[in-house]
Formats: sequence, C-alpha cells, structure tokens
Amino acid sequence: MGGANSMKYFHNCHPVVMFSYLIGVIFITMFTMNPIFIGISFLCSISFTFMLFGAKETVKSLLLAMPMIIIIALTNPLFVHKGETVLFFLNNNPMTLEAMIYGLFAALMLVSVFYWFKCYNRLMTSDKFIYLFGQVIPKLALMLSMMLNFVPKFIKQFKAVDESQKAMGIYSGSSYTDKIKCKFRVLSSLITWSLENSIETADSMKARGYGLKGRTSYSVFPWKTSDKLLMSYFGVMIIIVTVGLFTGYADFDYYPKITRMSFEIIPILLYFGGFILMFTSTIMEIKENMLWHYLKSKI
Amino acid sequence: MTYVKRKKLIFSVLMYFVAIPLTILLGVVLFNDRQYSIISIIIAGLACLPFFIRFEKSNASSREIIVIATMTALAVVGRIVFMALPGFKPVTAIVIITAIAFGKDAGFLTGSMSALVSNIYYGQGPWTPFQMLAWGFIGFLAGMIFYKKEKPNMILLIVVGIIGGVIFSLMMDVWTVLALDGAFTMSRYLIAISTSTPFMVLYSASNAAFLALFTKPILEKLNRIKVKYKVFTA
Repeated sequence: MGGANSMKYFHNCHPVVMFSYLIGVIFITMFTMNPIFIGISFLCSISFTFMLFGAKETVKSLLLAMPMIIIIALTNPLFVHKGETVLFFLNNNPMTLEAMIYGLFAALMLVSVFYWFKCYNRLMTSDKFIYLFGQVIPKLALMLSMMLNFVPKFIKQFKAVDESQKAMGIYSGSSYTDKIKCKFRVLSSLITWSLENSIETADSMKARGYGLKGRTSYSVFPWKTSDKLLMSYFGVMIIIVTVGLFTGYADFDYYPKITRMSFEIIPILLYFGGFILMFTSTIMEIKENMLWHYLKSKI
Repeated sequence: MTYVKRKKLIFSVLMYFVAIPLTILLGVVLFNDRQYSIISIIIAGLACLPFFIRFEKSNASSREIIVIATMTALAVVGRIVFMALPGFKPVTAIVIITAIAFGKDAGFLTGSMSALVSNIYYGQGPWTPFQMLAWGFIGFLAGMIFYKKEKPNMILLIVVGIIGGVIFSLMMDVWTVLALDGAFTMSRYLIAISTSTPFMVLYSASNAAFLALFTKPILEKLNRIKVKYKVFTA
C-alpha cells in the first residue's frame, strides 16, 4: 500500500473537484482551534501524504516536523502569560500549562496545513492550475502559462551561456563578488536574449489571431459522472462542517482555563463529519491502489 | 496600458474600504477575535485583486503581456540560479527595475507573479498571498517613485531597495506571528523580527548592491525594448 509509483485517484479526477476539496479542507483546518478537529486533520493529512508520497518521504518529513511541534509547544509560555495553571516562574513571568497546550495544538494545526499543502503541490500541476483559472482570468492565466514555459527555457539558456563563458576562461576569481559579477554577466545576456525572443513570440501570437472574439480552447479534463458525484459529496460535507463550526458547537477555549470536552451528540456528529470528509481522500487512494494491484495480479 | 479608469477606481475603493474592513469584522464576530491567520490570508488576497482585475480589463497588447511574463520568469530564474550564493536573490531588484521602466502596474504584476511562480518551484503554502502582496507592493512603490526616469536617483533607489527588503521581511514576520498565535502579539513579533534580522540585513544589502551595480545596464535594455517595440508607451 502507499508508495509513490502506483496510480493515484486524485491525479485523474477533475481539477475543480481536487482543488475545492483541498482548499476546503485547508480552510476548515485553519478555522478551528478545537483539539479534536486538529488531531483529525493532522492524522488525515499524514495518511494522505503517505498515500501520495510513500512511507520513506512521510517518515522523513515527520522527523523534521516533530521537533518543531515540540519546540513551539515548549516556548509558547514564554510569549503568552494567560492561563490559570502556573507551572513555574521564569524571570517573574508565569509559565502556564494552558499556554503550552495551546502551543502544541497551534503547531499541530500549522503542520497539518503544511501537509495538506504538500499534497496540493503534488496534485495541482501547473496545467491543472491554468485550466482552472484560464476561464476566470484569461490574460493572467496566459501570462502564467508563458512564465512556466519560460522558466525552464531560461535556466537552460543560462546554463549554456554560463558553461561557454567558463570554457572560455572568462570567469575570473573564486571570491564572492567575482562570482556575482560573472553570474550577472550571464544574466545580463539572458535578459537581452529573452526579451528579443519573447517579442517574437508575441508577434507570432498576434498573427495567429490571439485575443480575437469567439476562439475556443481545448480541454483535456472531462467532467465525468464520478466527478459530479464526488463534487456534490465534497460540497455538501464542506458546507455541513463549516456551518457546524460557525454555530459554535466545536468552540474551544484555552484561556484562562481549558474547556472540558463536551461529548454531546452534535459535537460528536461534527467531529465524525470532519473525519469522514478529511479521510475520504485517503480512502479513495486505498481503493485505487487495491484496484491497481487486483488488475495487475490478473495480468 | 489604458484602463477604464472610473469604474476601476470605484472598484478599488470598494475593495479597500468595504471588503477588507468587512473581512476584519467577520474575523472579530465569527472567530471571537482569534483566528487572524485565515483572515489575514483572505485580506492579502483581496488586496491583490484590484490590480489583477485592472490588468484583465485593460487592453494590454500581447507584447506587453509577454514582456511582463519574461521579466517575471527572469526574476524567478534569478532566484533559482543565484541559489548557490546564499542570501543573494535578485528578485526584488528585478521587480524594482521593471517598475522603473514599465510603470507601477507592471511592477505590481511582476512582483506578485514572481512570488506565485517561484512558489510553484519552492512550494505553495498559506504564505503565498503574503509574498504576492509584499513583492507586488514593492513593485508598485518603485513604479510610483521612479516611473519613466532614465537615470533614477541612485541614493533614493538604494534606499527603496533596502526598504523593499525590510518591508518583505517585516510582512512575512507578521504572517509568522498570526500563524502561531491566531492574533497579533507584540512580544512574539519582536522575537520573530530578531530571529529574521540577519536574513533581513543580508537581503536588504544584496538588494542595494544589485540595484547600485546593475540598474543602469538592465534599465538600458528595457528602455531599448520599450522604444524599439513600442510597449508600455501609453
């Protein structure tokens, strides 16, 4: 299970569905400081990361994240002196348990947001991004797609000029300022080259009728039935959870005293809803993996 | 670039004096004055919006679009190729020089798009709107002060470069504080500033150095493009 090489369900679903889901989940995570919600988001983001990136990458990033969480939790009392349970005094300032626990959950919230964004960065390739925004902001989307074309092209050209200058022995010393000067000389030639070239591209676009009325564009992302179903499911769940959070059923106070968790029916349903929503992505990937292995075993 | 000026002005005014205060109010009422991290992201996004809409509504020629795209790509490439030299990132300088040659709107677009595109390589996150706003604002500011100056006042330019570095660092520190505390706390902000000061100094110094040495040659190139191909002349 897991692993970075097998098929990914979310790679193949419609960009609108994937984008709304991830942005919805990230917003919900940032909306609330409820520890249970944050815990759910944390676990689900890690399980989804595991499904997308595999075990090695996930463990590696967790080893980096854990010390950060601990440091934030331990240092938060230095900045915040609210809270009733004083653990000890440092320079006449009270260090409170509440501040420490708040720090822990604030850090967990941040880390979960990072993990969701990690998944977002893996799934939201630039072609999908441009497809999403091309309709709403055509000029900016066009600009964006050009930039994404230019960047690797320019890097290649930069390296070509850089290497030929090195071969010609123009690179003088190895000091910091010399390096900057040489790199700048390359950058300078790149600027002239790229501006002239890009104007040519612009003229060619104009000659082919860019910006004329009535031009359509081809889309490679079909809006399948499964996308419709998934989108309506995500939409409903995101709205339910958001409304639930706004009504205050999952409100949670850290200061002056930590609220006792309420285990009435509505908050529990809310946590359950949040869990279902955030865990769906992992489930979809597990299902896709099983299907993949099943089909492979039949070959 | 010529714009539908009046409509645009009304929209900006609405955005800055209605939408943003409303968002803050929403933060106070709905989140009990606590979750400012999410509110601040929305505000940073809203603040960028008038510039983007203005660009969409403008009749910018394909040449102008592509020149901005090229300058942005150059800024991003600069960030990537200078990675070997720690602390030296020419992004701010390229944004400022673009703004001097092509005006404040081109400056804002180059700055904000540089943030967006370079984060495609370095990773998007909740900080993206902040970087977009910070770099966009630096471009806008430079365009306001220096637009169309063949030989910008070098001392003033260096000051702007240093301020640019400081603004960028201070704004990102605000985000750090909001992300951790939910609301703004001065004590945490001071700590955040003190830990980021070495980077801020290095960054501002590299901006100043880059601007001092390379404004003239790059500006010459851009002005040449401007005259030769008649872009951004309106």
